[in-house]
Amino acid sequence: MKKRSILISLSLVLIFSLLTLAGCSSTQETSGATEKTEESKEQAVNLYTNRHYDTDEQLLQLFTEETGIKVNVVKGDSDELIERLAREGKDTEADLLITADAGRLHRAKEKDLLQSVASEELLENIPENLRDEDNQWFCLTVRGRVVVYAKDRVNPSDLSTYEDLTNSKWQGKILVRSSSNLYNQSLLASFIEINGEEKAKEWAKGLVGNMAREPKGNDRAQATAVVAGEGDLAIMNTYYVGKMLNSSNPEEVKVAENVGVFFPNQDTTGTHINVSGIGLTKHAKNKENAIKLIEFLSSEKAQKQFAQANYEYPVNPKNEPSELLKSWGEFKTQNINLSKLGENNKKAVEIFNEVGWK
Amino acid sequence: MNIFINFFNEPNENWFHIKKYLLKDYVVNSTILIVFTGLFTTMLGTSLAWIVSIYDFPMKRFFKWGLVLSLAIPAYIGAYTYNGLLNYTGVIQTFLRNYLDIYVNQKYFNVMSMKGAIFVFTMFLFPYVYIITRSFLEKQSSSLIESGRVLGRNSLGIFIHVVVPISRAAIIGGVSLVILEVLNDYGVVKYFGIPTFSTAIFKTWFAMGDIDSAVKLSSILMFLVFGILILEKFLRGRKKFSYTTAKVRPLTCIQLKGIKGILACSYCFLVFSLSFLIPTLQLTHWTIMTYKKILDMKFLGLMMNSLWIALFSSVLIVIIGIVIANYCRVHEGIISKVYSKMTVVGYSIPGAVIAIGVIVFFINLDHKLYWIYKIINPNTSKLLLSTSIIMLIFAYIIRFLAIGYNSIESGFEKVGKRFFEASRTLGMNMTQTFFKVDFQMIKPAILSAFVLVFVDILKELPLTLILRPFNFNTLATKSFEYANDEMIHEAAISSLIIIIISVVSIYFFYKVGDKEEV
Repeated sequence: MKKRSILISLSLVLIFSLLTLAGCSSTQETSGATEKTEESKEQAVNLYTNRHYDTDEQLLQLFTEETGIKVNVVKGDSDELIERLAREGKDTEADLLITADAGRLHRAKEKDLLQSVASEELLENIPENLRDEDNQWFCLTVRGRVVVYAKDRVNPSDLSTYEDLTNSKWQGKILVRSSSNLYNQSLLASFIEINGEEKAKEWAKGLVGNMAREPKGNDRAQATAVVAGEGDLAIMNTYYVGKMLNSSNPEEVKVAENVGVFFPNQDTTGTHINVSGIGLTKHAKNKENAIKLIEFLSSEKAQKQFAQANYEYPVNPKNEPSELLKSWGEFKTQNINLSKLGENNKKAVEIFNEVGWK
Repeated sequence: MNIFINFFNEPNENWFHIKKYLLKDYVVNSTILIVFTGLFTTMLGTSLAWIVSIYDFPMKRFFKWGLVLSLAIPAYIGAYTYNGLLNYTGVIQTFLRNYLDIYVNQKYFNVMSMKGAIFVFTMFLFPYVYIITRSFLEKQSSSLIESGRVLGRNSLGIFIHVVVPISRAAIIGGVSLVILEVLNDYGVVKYFGIPTFSTAIFKTWFAMGDIDSAVKLSSILMFLVFGILILEKFLRGRKKFSYTTAKVRPLTCIQLKGIKGILACSYCFLVFSLSFLIPTLQLTHWTIMTYKKILDMKFLGLMMNSLWIALFSSVLIVIIGIVIANYCRVHEGIISKVYSKMTVVGYSIPGAVIAIGVIVFFINLDHKLYWIYKIINPNTSKLLLSTSIIMLIFAYIIRFLAIGYNSIESGFEKVGKRFFEASRTLGMNMTQTFFKVDFQMIKPAILSAFVLVFVDILKELPLTLILRPFNFNTLATKSFEYANDEMIHEAAISSLIIIIISVVSIYFFYKVGDKEEV
């Protein structure tokens, strides 16, 4: 009896492994075979990205049409992609990494996952403060992290700086999302850089004291809560305001129309920006193609697309922001090395925990 | 699993930081969530299973499977949908404002809270309890319930004194699935801003870049899960509920007339609306707003991707589930118990942790197998398996084996060993017995295992997101990408397609299941 039961278990295992093999061979035939045959004929570049926008897909398509280089994409959360890249080591198939945060690019650099790119074109297209000092990563787009206010209740002349948001006059009036959000982490990281750790902590503590409710929801939810009267001010990214103004839900458009955009710290240290950026992986196998893609994305043409369709600020000085962004006016940005956002990230997370910013 | 070796590392600075500022919140929040969700899903699931399996009332045939449908909606989509419905720009408030000129206090419409999360989890997870309990009651309880009737108990009395005790095992099995789902959820709690163990693991691992502490947190979570599982075994007790006689009679239902019938019907309808109808209508509304922008040929590709990978993986999982369950049933002993508990481990670890573990495993495997690849194809790339879809399927198996296995195991448990032994005594060998006797008897359990796993894979997120090969998108990843970019309206269409596919498969398999029963 025992023998038989072993026999049956074995045979089932065999069936299972045959099935798996069938699965393997079929997938290899489809993915593997096409890759192999195309490798000789067709150029390709492999991209890990945490930007999910349809506009990005259109841009990559345009690149393929112009150059004949196929772009293969894996999308995911930036932290998870970096972890995956690290684990794959020198055998990785990925050539490029795009993340929506300079701090994460810096982390990838620190983990020794990126390499320097020597390209005159990139140096020309991207201002110095928007690229890594060793040219290991380059910014592609910029958003401002601004204060959005209820037009009917707040006089913008009462607004001045991020620091002022901790003033008792705003008690119970401020809306902001949770501290697990990267944009908030980078914001606080920038304050650590500019004002020092103690001041940054004081600020975070003061802001928690002035919150209208516990942090929750995304950036759009903050703007909506302002208009709904839950608070008067919200900290959020500029491009969400643009997206809401062009939303398919007419009520969301109304919300966006009822809030004003204010760029803080114009007379002092400048408004905090967060960026999307791209880096060449250390073990990229399609290095030339990859550099071509970076250059393409920083070109005037691609930058125009970023700016027009996704309401982000272009990094290429030859480009102008879209009409909508221009209508909010020009603004001065924080003058810090964006790598600092990555260096200070951990400290920022700890401060958030200590002051109870959920 | 090699990640867990790190658990015994010396606690580092981060760990003290977490312990000091965060741990209490995580414990309290996670506990509140599982206790209340567990309680409410038990109440809903058991009472509905009881009503549907014992009484006849208007539209019962529809509710019987209609109540399962909310399983088709991923909890995080449910969360987004309810918030979209209730918030300031949602249909309800917009209507009040624009047509009736009523401005309401936001606090009455605030679903983004602990209460809201419990509501969302209850609505989208109660079918686990409902399905398992219902199928148990339908198959098994006729003689006991009829004895109860003969002995003069009223309906409520039977429910409390007969139904609940005998279906205890089924209820607990369902609730433990619910609890595991809640502990593992990342989407809902992140969106609602509730710090729990799973958000904490992501935060320490990815935001603080500290694997050690993340592993410590996951280990605590896993101990918690094992505690729950042991408790489950303990609560199920030694009692084995297999058929009392070889003759299994389906229950004759009592006709509910008049007001009672209407009450039963409206109770079912209320739950059905909250858990399925309203969210689906909302998603449909959003789809109508955006389909022109989103729908194109690419969507067909997404659909095919989602379908074949879910189908293939669920078939594998069911087969493995049967093999292990059968083995454990025949060989009672420590090893088989360990086997059966092993299957559940994958379900208790957060998706992202499994994902990274699987990557490490496959990269090692690739390094070991490289010489074989070279024989087959001299200029092969080294990371062959770990850049292929096989890695993803493997991860699905680890993650969802528990669900398939639980259902199959309960199928075996219900049948008991009597028929197996009879068959063996009558001279059939193991294989014959399995295909001619066991397989026929547990077919419904296999079907429900398949449907549960299929639907779960269709909506699965973190694994697919991290482990998918280049250019591989599914409906779930697409809808997440939109939702994550705060484009919930655009996310609606892929969510809706997930729901439709799931509904069709649930309907189809329940129809097949119904026929089998007759």
